[in-house]
Amino acid sequence: MTRWFEDITIDEAFPLGSHTFTEAEIVRFAADYDPQYFHLSGAGAEYSHFGGLIASGWHTVVVGHRKMVDALEAEEQRLRGLGQEPGVSGPGAGVNRMEFKSPVRPGDTVTYTLVVSAKRPSNSLPGWGILTNQLSAVNQHGEPVYHAELIGFSKLRDFKMPFRLRILEALTKVPGLGKLLNKRS
Amino acid sequence: MNLVTAERRHFEDLALGEVVGLGRITVTKEMITSFAREFDPFPFHLDEEAAKESLLGGLAASGWQTGALTLRLLTDAFLSRIASAGGLGFSDLKWKRPVMKNDTITGTARIIELRRSRHHPQWGVLTVELDMRNQTDQPVMSMKLANLVETRNAGTTRHEQPAQPYDVEAGHEPGDTR
Repeated sequence: MTRWFEDITIDEAFPLGSHTFTEAEIVRFAADYDPQYFHLSGAGAEYSHFGGLIASGWHTVVVGHRKMVDALEAEEQRLRGLGQEPGVSGPGAGVNRMEFKSPVRPGDTVTYTLVVSAKRPSNSLPGWGILTNQLSAVNQHGEPVYHAELIGFSKLRDFKMPFRLRILEALTKVPGLGKLLNKRS
Repeated sequence: MNLVTAERRHFEDLALGEVVGLGRITVTKEMITSFAREFDPFPFHLDEEAAKESLLGGLAASGWQTGALTLRLLTDAFLSRIASAGGLGFSDLKWKRPVMKNDTITGTARIIELRRSRHHPQWGVLTVELDMRNQTDQPVMSMKLANLVETRNAGTTRHEQPAQPYDVEAGHEPGDTR
């Protein structure tokens, strides 16, 4: 989230918006990343137990990621509009679990929601907090499409670097010494 | 009868511990920026100058692109050759190192679990562990991916089925001899 770690509220639902999947984009994604016969046109999808073309689960996931990026950007603009300095989101660290629940067919509309279920300061990355993000996707009938638990990073606003680390940071700026220190860490 | 998968390897043909070698893909600047424009439009995936200033230190692929390219390699080497009935999801996905412009990725998929679906005798659940590496053999990503696979004896009734190799739901592990 583009909020400071301290401002992130636990269990608040953060709507990410919706996306309607067209047959053309389903097939285009599949041709690049998941060319199994039930994700392609004219490849016999009707013989599968799905009875026709469905989107790759990974396609629905990366669209969900895009929706999250867009929502973070909008939240950043909103905070700037209020005269506040937005926080900083870090890169994704990983995915604990991703469960595909029901297939997405051409014309289906998927709505995505993000909930931060837990947060704690990072032990290994000083100044950053670790977020446990729950991402859920449902279709236009209210059926779950997927549920994911993801690990993300968010910067701490009130972080004051310990004296020991400030010394270390200063030392890394000394020519020649930085390389040596980086090698050790 | 599934005309597409009839001649492919089915659940019964897969072996625990089997290792599938994946092909390789070189990730170009154009691939990185076109994926990022559509799915992950952060400056460090779009712009080389912005990328140099970022934590990543240069133009790097979205972690989701690394995942999607891994899926492509797995599909070509394995999922399109077996009677796959769709993905169930994945777990323990870890991005270990960014995939930079012009890196070449490859890896292996090892079968770590095979179990029959308790309620759907026409399917088995296959779990593979993926270990992805770059051209200098450094790990870039790992995950466990679960997929449904058609069984050959889908038409038989439950009590006519042969003895199960093992039943994870009942707490038995592979190697149990009952």
